[in-house]
Amino acid sequence: MDPYKVLGVTPQTSDDDVKRAYRELARKYHPDNYINNPLADLAEARMKEINEAYDMIMNERAGKSAGGGQQYGGQQYGGQRYGGAYGGAQQRSYSGPNASLYSQVRQAINQGNLGMAEQLLQRANGRDAEWFYLMGTVYYRKGWYDEAMRSYTQACQMDPSNMEYRTALNNLNMSGGYGGYRPMQEANMCDFCMQLAICNCCLNSCCNAGC
Amino acid sequence: MFGFIRPVKPELRVREADRFQQVYCGLCHAIRARYGRFYTFFLSYDMTFFALVAGCGETETAPPCMKRCDAHPVTKRPCAQTDAALELAADVSVLLAYHKIRDSLADEKGAKRALAAVLCRLGKRGYEKARQRLPEADAEMVQALDDLQALEREQCASMDRAADASARMTEAVVPRTGDARERVLRQMFYHIGRWVYLLDAAQDVKEDMEQDNYNPVVLRYGLRTPDITEIKQPLERTLERSLADICMAFDLLDAKRDADLIRNIIFLGMPLVTRQVLDGTYQTNGGWGRHGSL
Repeated sequence: MDPYKVLGVTPQTSDDDVKRAYRELARKYHPDNYINNPLADLAEARMKEINEAYDMIMNERAGKSAGGGQQYGGQQYGGQRYGGAYGGAQQRSYSGPNASLYSQVRQAINQGNLGMAEQLLQRANGRDAEWFYLMGTVYYRKGWYDEAMRSYTQACQMDPSNMEYRTALNNLNMSGGYGGYRPMQEANMCDFCMQLAICNCCLNSCCNAGC
Repeated sequence: MFGFIRPVKPELRVREADRFQQVYCGLCHAIRARYGRFYTFFLSYDMTFFALVAGCGETETAPPCMKRCDAHPVTKRPCAQTDAALELAADVSVLLAYHKIRDSLADEKGAKRALAAVLCRLGKRGYEKARQRLPEADAEMVQALDDLQALEREQCASMDRAADASARMTEAVVPRTGDARERVLRQMFYHIGRWVYLLDAAQDVKEDMEQDNYNPVVLRYGLRTPDITEIKQPLERTLERSLADICMAFDLLDAKRDADLIRNIIFLGMPLVTRQVLDGTYQTNGGWGRHGSL
């Protein structure tokens, strides 16, 4: 691998410009952009390559300037703080009639087996908020964004206090956070306030329960 | 496809605009050499875009050659030399054009139907030839079109379900190489197909309501009047998602040849057309009078 080629710079490029090129690429291929995208693994591999190339260049330059003693500390981003495209810390444990079925559905979604997930969902006993949320995620993965939006909205209406559902809906409405690719749109500040308020409520109830 | 995919000319470099015209003409010549004159009448910017993307993995651009054609019988015009990408684009153009005619034969009534029947017969031979070259792609398209027609018959109110059938048809154009590149291209062309289908539905709301034709946008939002200002925002959201997916797939493609030209089409041309269609200011500027010009 030629690290300069990966970053699209030359050995003559200044440190600042290398850093700028790196940031630009990292912004583009950041795993956050590819959440729920079927190409997430490819973007992740690319991000890793970019990080490695940047480290190589910076280490090499640090070595040169300090006579080989000093090592570049590494300030890269992406990659590590990526905890899988799905689930995450906010997931609340579900304890309804379909609990075991839903955990199978989540597993199927994580493995990218959308056909299986959809089949399992058809077998569910009744349709609660969790059902609509999972169905929405299947649609999301398939690129059926209108259906995903409807399912997520339904899930949020049925269980307005669930942060996982709300985050999913917000992510969908934010166009994947793809910088510069959102003609005429403003961030929905109301939703953000709402999130804070709900967060606050959750924290309060947690603390009270603990005492 | 419907001509929504085109560059924004003021943002192009002169050599890129020239290159676009050369590929357009080159594609026309490739179609004519392989399938005869008939299918050159279905030449489009969409397929020019496909030819560019199909060839973007190459590193070298061969110098254009000078050729005469039916539209320019007097002066020779510079044309892109026929290469593997142009040949593929020619084959794919024929398949898509034929299936489009077949679709109108199933949908339309009266004079349009009669015309489609004639075209269908005229295009049959070329289609058979293209089918032999790309049997898998054709099988996928046939399946997708069958699904789409079934959904139309049952008046499917899900935009995504109808768009999915159409998108699978577009997705089928990607050559089967079995590597990461195929995955990226499939994702890209799936969402191009989805975007084209939904945008076309939004553009045709008025016409379809007057003629009582199937239109997924009308059914999805339960429209009573042909005015789409109310649903503009959600429609734009969902279209934008597909555009973002196209961009992100393209970023993973490692385009070498014509990268800036393709970038212009995806990052500027497609959002612009989206806005124009939703505002009602979209106008086709292809057609006979402006053959091959942007």
